[in-house]
Amino acid sequence: MKHIVLLLAVMALFIGGCAKKQVQVAPPVTTTGTQQGTLSEEEKRRIAEEELARAERDRLLREQERLARILQDVLFDFDSYAVNSSELPKIEGVASYMKQEGNAKMVVEGHCDERGTVDYNFALGQKRAEAVKSYLVKLGINPGRVRTISYGKELPLETGKSEEAWAKNRRVHFAIDQKG
Amino acid sequence: MKRNSVLIIALALACVMICAGAANAKVYLDVYGTTFKKITIGVPAFKGEKTDKSTSGMSDVLNRDLDLSGFFITAPASLIDKELLDEGIEKSQVKFASWRSIGIDLVCKARVQVVGGELSLEAYVYDTLDGSILLAKRYKANTGEWRRVTHRLADDIIFAATGEKGICSSRILFTAGRRNLKEVYLSDFDGQNVTRLTNYRSITVSPSLSPNGKYLAYTSYKDGRPNLYVTDFSSKSEMFVDRSEGMKIGTAWLNNSTLVYSHTSGRTSTIFAFDVGSRSKRVILQRDGILTSPTVSADGSRLVFVSDMYGTPQIFSKGLPSGEVKRLTYSGRYNSAPSYSPKGDLIVFICNVGSFEVCTMNVDGSNQKVLTNDGAVNDSPQFSSCGRYIIYTSSRGGINKVNVMLFNGENKRTLRFTDFAEEQPRFAP
Repeated sequence: MKHIVLLLAVMALFIGGCAKKQVQVAPPVTTTGTQQGTLSEEEKRRIAEEELARAERDRLLREQERLARILQDVLFDFDSYAVNSSELPKIEGVASYMKQEGNAKMVVEGHCDERGTVDYNFALGQKRAEAVKSYLVKLGINPGRVRTISYGKELPLETGKSEEAWAKNRRVHFAIDQKG
Repeated sequence: MKRNSVLIIALALACVMICAGAANAKVYLDVYGTTFKKITIGVPAFKGEKTDKSTSGMSDVLNRDLDLSGFFITAPASLIDKELLDEGIEKSQVKFASWRSIGIDLVCKARVQVVGGELSLEAYVYDTLDGSILLAKRYKANTGEWRRVTHRLADDIIFAATGEKGICSSRILFTAGRRNLKEVYLSDFDGQNVTRLTNYRSITVSPSLSPNGKYLAYTSYKDGRPNLYVTDFSSKSEMFVDRSEGMKIGTAWLNNSTLVYSHTSGRTSTIFAFDVGSRSKRVILQRDGILTSPTVSADGSRLVFVSDMYGTPQIFSKGLPSGEVKRLTYSGRYNSAPSYSPKGDLIVFICNVGSFEVCTMNVDGSNQKVLTNDGAVNDSPQFSSCGRYIIYTSSRGGINKVNVMLFNGENKRTLRFTDFAEEQPRFAP
């Protein structure tokens, strides 16, 4: 019984495949001009490429979504670079990802909200990144795989002037280090 | 005999009165007293100003400069009778009593001529009390330089009336741009001749010029991380100061070839002195946590900086080359961005009093005063070389703009350079 189902399935696939091919082959046969035939050959290739590209895009998107779930921003209190205990699981998640992906390197970006002075925020962003890096190292990640960078208050996520916006901007952001 | 002695006494009295009058006339303004009365000055349109298109607006620029200096109240043209506006510029043609009667202390009269692309300006400043000449000067320049000539006249009037050098001819260094696209600019004080000094299409911050103007130091993200560079204007070459990991910000020059900068990396922060000639650096101070915003007193004997060694950003000073570290600020939980007055008497800084405002204190930390009340984030306060003015940025109004005020917080004015947000202004040497 099982075999029959399998056979049917294979046949269905085969027929489906054939049918598709027939449909694709058909136009050059029915049309008189060869130009149209080559066009549809190109079309075919284009469609195939597009499908491939779409699949690749989907794959990347899914990968990004997966990464976004793992690489969550670590949030901080105003004028502080102490990692709150509620934020520790985020860093632990990144550490286990880095252990899975043995070659992945990480950029740890420190950011600040718009309040306070430019210079001090550059230093504060660096300390936030360092605090997260040192916890990653404590969790067993080789320090050579983690690069810190401070952006001070140059690149806020939210431009609003509310405590909500500021809270989102006081963050350490993770990014895969493309430079390797 | 009797008649003679009376005459002598009368003469002596007259002499004393004249001397006293002269002495009064000399000291126009005690500019560093706790309060001073501003001088009211009238600047009618210059003769010939409107005949050449390129020079119209000179008297407007002069009025604006004099207003910005904080020494003067400029009389609006609407206040002045047409008869007075139209009178000649020679002493004999000026009706001093009429000027005096509308409350004007000084009157500036000038004539401008343009001949073959060359501008000549003849300017007089009279004291309306006695018709004495405070300033009489002739200026010659290319027509295109008319603004600069006017700024020089403004500075000359300020110097003649107060003995203080004006800032109308100075230039301002600052950063400006959009998100992720911040460059270093240099501009005349009045917002003219804005020149972009960097073009890295990245984030470039914290520019500072060496006292002789030869070197420009800045931190740029152009290579993917914040590295510290120095550009030599004479050879047009750029050198790395520090490209190790961490945050490097150069904020001050100890002398013409030594840059002082802070480096935060790992557990510690370090303040370095980097010698541009030998490309060598030495440690001035190293601590756990944050050390930043190092600046040096004009005589090079003291360093001020910000540290969080007691939990919040506070300002400290240290004798150079080796001396004790002394805490200067105790009030409030956020004191940052200090800078010395070139006169050596004050430090200007940012304090958090609910919002971030510009403050001053004596160099020992005493006598702290809040000078602004913008309810926003004010930042990067710097004294002018004469120590009379403070420039700073304010985010009041939603976008960072450069402002200028007197050392005591009076006479606040907003400067206009670009359409972008502007930050980290400094008087260029």
